[in-house]
Amino acid sequence: MIAPFYKFGLFGDNVSLVMAFVIGIGFGFALERAGFGSARKLVAQFYLTDLSVFKVMFSAIVTAMVGLFFLAAFGLVDLSLVYLTPTYLLPQIVGGLILGVGFVVGGYCPGTSCVAAATGKYDGFVFLAGVLAGSFVFAEAFSLVDDFYYATPMGSITLPQQFHMSYGLLVFAVILMAVGGFAGATRLERWMASRKEARA
Amino acid sequence: MKGWFSKLSMNAKLGLLLLVLGVVALFIGNPYDRATATIDTAELAEIVQREVDHVAPEQLADWIIQGRADYRLIDLRTPEEFEQYHIPGAENVAITGLADHGLLRNEKIILYSEGGIHSAQAWFLLRAKDYDGVYILRGGLQDWKDSVLFPSLSADATPAQRVTFAKMAEVSTFFGGQPQGVAAAARPSVATALPMVKIPAAAPVAKSPPPKKKKKEGC
Repeated sequence: MIAPFYKFGLFGDNVSLVMAFVIGIGFGFALERAGFGSARKLVAQFYLTDLSVFKVMFSAIVTAMVGLFFLAAFGLVDLSLVYLTPTYLLPQIVGGLILGVGFVVGGYCPGTSCVAAATGKYDGFVFLAGVLAGSFVFAEAFSLVDDFYYATPMGSITLPQQFHMSYGLLVFAVILMAVGGFAGATRLERWMASRKEARA
Repeated sequence: MKGWFSKLSMNAKLGLLLLVLGVVALFIGNPYDRATATIDTAELAEIVQREVDHVAPEQLADWIIQGRADYRLIDLRTPEEFEQYHIPGAENVAITGLADHGLLRNEKIILYSEGGIHSAQAWFLLRAKDYDGVYILRGGLQDWKDSVLFPSLSADATPAQRVTFAKMAEVSTFFGGQPQGVAAAARPSVATALPMVKIPAAAPVAKSPPPKKKKKEGC
C-alpha cells in the first residue's frame, strides 16, 4: 500500500469526508489536551512566558517532515502526488501578517477558536463569528482584491527546488532549527519565570 | 553507554533521535525520485466518462486574465506552429519530450494540441506515468479560436447567450482576437474566422499579456 491513499483511489470522495472528520476530531482533541482551547495559554506565547504553541507547532512540522521524508525514501509515500499549495509570495506574506495580528488581538487562530467554541468558551464563539463574518466579507469583496490575491505567482515550489539544495540538507537544517528552538524556548521560559518571581 | 542515555530526559532523547534522523537524511537522495506507480484502468475510464479531465477554453482564458500560476500549459504542436501562434503562457513540448520536461506530479498540467487527439494521447501517457492533475483543453486550439479569440453569436441567440457573448467579446479583445458580431455570424462564421487567425499571430507577441484590466467572469 502506497500513500497518499486517496490519490491512489483506495477510497472515494465520501469516505475521504469521513476520514477528514475523524482526523479533524483528533486534531481538535490534541489541541484541547495541549491546552490550546484557552486564549490565555495561546497569548502567553506573545508575552514569551509560555512557548507551548511554538513547541507544539514545531514538533508537528518536524514530525510531518521527517515522517514524509523517510516514508518517501522507503517508497511508502509518493511525494509527487502530495498537493503543494502554489506560492503567491507577497499576498501570502501580507495574509500571514493579518492572521498574526488577528491571533494577537483575538487570542485564537481559526483552528483553536473551534476548539474553544467546542468546549463552550464564549470568546471562542465570538472569535468564530468573526471568522465567519470575515470570510463572508472577503468573499463578497474578492473582486476588489483579486489583483493582489494573484500577485507575484511562483507556482508550486519547494525550498530545495528554489535554492538548488538537496532535500536531505533541508531536513537536517530544519531539525537543527527545531532542536535549537526547543532548547532556546525552554531557557527563555525559565528566564521569564525567574524575572517574574524577582519582581514579585 | 546505556546509563548515559537513560539519564537523559524524555525531551532530550527525542531531540537526539531527531538529530540522528536528520544526519541520516543528509545521505538519502531526493525523496521525489522514488515514486512508484500503477495504472488503474477502471479509474481512468471513469474519469474519461465523467469528462472531469477537461478545461473549457473560457475557463482557461479566465485563469490567464487573473494571472493564476497554479497550472502549466503545454502546447503539443510543432515548434513552427507554436511560433506562429500559441496561447499566452504556454510551453512548447513535443509529445516525445514530455517525460523529460520537468513536469511535476503534483502540478496541474493542461494540454492542448490543434484538435484534441494529440492532447488526449498525451493525457494517457502522463496518466500512465501517474501524473494526476492532467487536463485537456476542450477542443484544443480550434475551440480556443472559436470561443475565445473569435466568439460568434448566431442570429437566433437567446438573451442568455447574448450576455455570455458580450462577456466573451471582452475576453476576446484581451487576447487580441476579434469577436464576430451578430451580423457577421451567419452560417459561414467558420469561413470568416479561419483566415483571421493570422491577426493574433502578430498581435500577442508578448508571452503573457500584462493583466492590466481585469474582467470579472462569473466568479
